[in-house]
Amino acid sequence: MNEKIKQDFPIEWEDDHFVTRREFFKFMTLASGGLAVGTAALAAYAKLPKDERVFEAAMICKVDDVKIGSALAFSYPRPNDLCLLVRKQDGNFAGYARRCTHLSCPVEYEVRNERELLYCPCHNGAFSVEDGSVVQGPPPHPLPQIKLEIRGNEVWALGIIKEKHS
Amino acid sequence: MRGPEYERRRQKSVVFVGLLLFALILFLIQLWLFVMVLENILAGKTGMVFQAAAASFVLLGVNFWMFAGVSRISKMR
Repeated sequence: MNEKIKQDFPIEWEDDHFVTRREFFKFMTLASGGLAVGTAALAAYAKLPKDERVFEAAMICKVDDVKIGSALAFSYPRPNDLCLLVRKQDGNFAGYARRCTHLSCPVEYEVRNERELLYCPCHNGAFSVEDGSVVQGPPPHPLPQIKLEIRGNEVWALGIIKEKHS
Repeated sequence: MRGPEYERRRQKSVVFVGLLLFALILFLIQLWLFVMVLENILAGKTGMVFQAAAASFVLLGVNFWMFAGVSRISKMR
């Protein structure tokens, strides 16, 4: 044990392992290569198509459970992923992730000046019920949309549609 | 009396330190590019990621070129 420590951490200066300039340059070049590859990998990842993510289909509720002009909170695809099912004034359904894209406050369905909005009370952000796009306030991106399907008398969630950011 | 060999070594040492500092600066620029690309992706902006990656590879090329030069000089000793 003692011998090993003496070998790894020699007291005599001459016995120590010196890092030569060439070794140091080699290390710097390798680290530089790692960063270049990492940056390229990030760039490739950013350009991957991420329009639609399909998850296991899940029933949200019965059609009659949500009145026209009201909304229902649900979780999809995981229990912590808060979503909002909106039944618009025209009777059609729309589903959106409920976390505001600004600071993740939960958005609420509201009708203001005869305009349907998903409103975030934290910083007065608002999204369109039609496509989740930002209507006002600080949110930087649209709300992710939940792909819905009406099966008989039931509303089902099939996946998440995310906007491509340019 | 210090001969020309001593002076030559001293000069070479300065050149080495200069190259090392330059490599360090290039490395820091690459690190900045990496962090910038990451932040922009998280913010949903992907318009400049390929340009940043290309710039990072150019800096890697310069670093590699310097490494090859240092290796060559070291072998000449």
